Amino acid sequence: MRSTQDFFSLFSLPHDFDIELKTLNARFRELQVESHPDRVAAEDEATKLAAVQRSSLLNDAYATLKSPLGRAAHLLALAGVSVDEVSQADLDREVLFEQMQLREAVAEAPEGDDGLAVLEPLKKEIAARIHQREQNFVQSLTAEDLGVAKRVFHELQFLHKLFQEIETSEEQRLAY
Amino acid sequence: MALLQIQEPGGKPARPKHRLAVGIDLGTTNSLVSARCGLKVESLPDETGECLLPSIVHYADGGQVYVGKRAKAMALVDPANTIVSAKRMLGKSLSELRTLDHYMPYEFDATRDDTAPSIMTRAGSKDPISVSAEILKVLKARAEETLNGRLEGAVITVPAYFNDAQRQQTKDAAEEAGLNVLRLLNEPTAAAVAYGLDTADQGNIVVFDLGGGTFDVSVLSLTRGVFEVLATGGDTNLGGDDFDRLFAEWLKHQAGADGLSEGEIMQCANEIKHRLSEEEAVEFTLASQAMTVTREQFAALTSEPLERAMRICRRSLRDAKLTNEEIDNIVLVGGSTRMPAVRVAVAEFFGREPLTSIDPDKVVAVGAGIQADVLIGNKSENDFLLLDVTPLSLGIETMGELVEKIIPRNTTIPVSRAQEFTTFKDGQTAMALHVMQGERESVADCRSLARFTLRGIPAMVAGAAKIRVTFQVDADGLLSVSAEETLTGAKAEIQVKPSYGLEADTIKSMLQESQEHAREDMELRSLREAKVDAIQLIDAIAGAVVADPELLEEGEEARINEAVAKLIAVLDEGSSAQLTKLTQSLNEVSGDFAARRMDAHIGRALQGERIDGV
Repeated sequence: MRSTQDFFSLFSLPHDFDIELKTLNARFRELQVESHPDRVAAEDEATKLAAVQRSSLLNDAYATLKSPLGRAAHLLALAGVSVDEVSQADLDREVLFEQMQLREAVAEAPEGDDGLAVLEPLKKEIAARIHQREQNFVQSLTAEDLGVAKRVFHELQFLHKLFQEIETSEEQRLAY
Repeated sequence: MALLQIQEPGGKPARPKHRLAVGIDLGTTNSLVSARCGLKVESLPDETGECLLPSIVHYADGGQVYVGKRAKAMALVDPANTIVSAKRMLGKSLSELRTLDHYMPYEFDATRDDTAPSIMTRAGSKDPISVSAEILKVLKARAEETLNGRLEGAVITVPAYFNDAQRQQTKDAAEEAGLNVLRLLNEPTAAAVAYGLDTADQGNIVVFDLGGGTFDVSVLSLTRGVFEVLATGGDTNLGGDDFDRLFAEWLKHQAGADGLSEGEIMQCANEIKHRLSEEEAVEFTLASQAMTVTREQFAALTSEPLERAMRICRRSLRDAKLTNEEIDNIVLVGGSTRMPAVRVAVAEFFGREPLTSIDPDKVVAVGAGIQADVLIGNKSENDFLLLDVTPLSLGIETMGELVEKIIPRNTTIPVSRAQEFTTFKDGQTAMALHVMQGERESVADCRSLARFTLRGIPAMVAGAAKIRVTFQVDADGLLSVSAEETLTGAKAEIQVKPSYGLEADTIKSMLQESQEHAREDMELRSLREAKVDAIQLIDAIAGAVVADPELLEEGEEARINEAVAKLIAVLDEGSSAQLTKLTQSLNEVSGDFAARRMDAHIGRALQGERIDGV
């Protein structure tokens, strides 16, 4: 098993779900200014390669922490919980049923502008749900109830995926 | 005092010498070179005072190679030996070139592979890399003469939307010209750099780059000297040429095409387009017919390509998660942005006037020159850093001819991402890896970049081996891929030098289609996944029946075989629902047998045998 590198400490941030994104962004830029391969573009190959690796790590860490889902997964990973393995116990029957219903509502939204009128409130509802579940996640993590935290994480995964599907659906109607 | 100036061995001299590095805009129509001259970075003129070098190469009698104006003069006289648009050909296969609208009066080298087209000239077979290298050599010589010294490095610009093949070949051309490539830089990013340094040091910038043949749009944020590209989009087949073509069609329709060649009408269309950027209306004579066309008329006739460009703009803003109001500056790049209709559309869309103070033909080269000066290590007060992104998603082919994305588009580079895959069949010892680029889910709709094979996987049951595939994209946007079997450490890797051309379509349509076909792709995916599940189950059962025949009860084998036969019958033509249903019944019929095997194997495992046969 590969050890998990702590991305929070990489950016000198606390192990929190609610991090200050501005601070993350500022730290990321500071570190990239020091480590980016552009800093050593005229040096030898070994130096350049080391810079590419360091810079890639920073990009990966930044992308992970910037996304709420990535941040949650990383907090779980640091607590020794892998989110790659999902078992039946991680998925509430009720949650699954609810997801199915929401998904159907998205799929059945009519074409054109009428569809947008259906999708927009749905999107708001899901955003609110995401917000609420994120709070649940923080609570269960604080209480060190990792089983619950993992379950909430998987529900968040569903919600984010659904949110994205709505956006794609909207894009099709807006003819992007 | 001189005695006190002791220098450490190997240390840097007290006052570092200014090192010579240039920026080169290798364009489809024209190319430029720029460098720091005193305090400013400027594009360098030739001996006649002209900065733009037409990107045209002529192979003359007697072995001379002419580049630029002189070659341009030969384009009509000796088209077969005068290469006009090498940049359009970079990274493309012959079959792909044949689908381009662009007129190509060349004889292609029949001895070459479809994936490596080359043009027969009197100087021999010349591929687009060598032709581009000729242009770069002239710019290199111009710079060395003007700057009076040897160049130590160069930054070469490429359209942000260039794929891996096109980038790699651009780099190869620069190396063939004897240039040390410090970085391949995306053209819109270069333009932002050129402006960013004299404007506010904070804010969001959109670069709208409409050239002769390509369109690029990038959304960047600038904070204290760090340019971060948030999203990039474009169309490698959208440019000024499209406006010419639409207008030429109208001209033909109005004046009749009698006695005029296609080339003449196109030239006339192009001229009128240019004049309409200066005048409200243009009077002209075509096929001895006096005509007038206004700006408004021209704009109405050519609205389609402009609308397409604005749609791509909208999409990139969405990718960047920004709204029009959040954009602080718009930079116009490329000669086609001189068209009034383009300026009006851009200003309307963003609700503010675009920046135009730097010549749109020179802005990219200037940005590249600034970046070259920084990269070579000449300290400047305006030190800055560029964080660019990948324009297209990168992935790998998985079972069922599907593409699993490993690095999504608009990921900041350099980037390294790994994903684990496993074997599909029992006893599989090798795995073929197929590297893909594009947004669609099916292999046929993406671009194939490379294929390689990982060997030496220990024979195990299907799904037991762990193969870690790592994608690394460097700061030039170039990809390398490696694969490793994590138990034994068996390794294989490849620098992606593209080997396959896209059958017919361009990246743009790939992206558009990926939107249009999102649902279709999902259905296709579920169908293929159902098929993969079915095949795996059939394979597993076949293996089990051979391995443990004694565990089968009477009549059980016949029932299993019947279910297998039913499933095989619908394997190729069946719907995903049918496949799932029949796979389910096969699972049910063979369930007891599987349970008995499980018990038996656990029993054996407890006695010290291995359990992986279950």
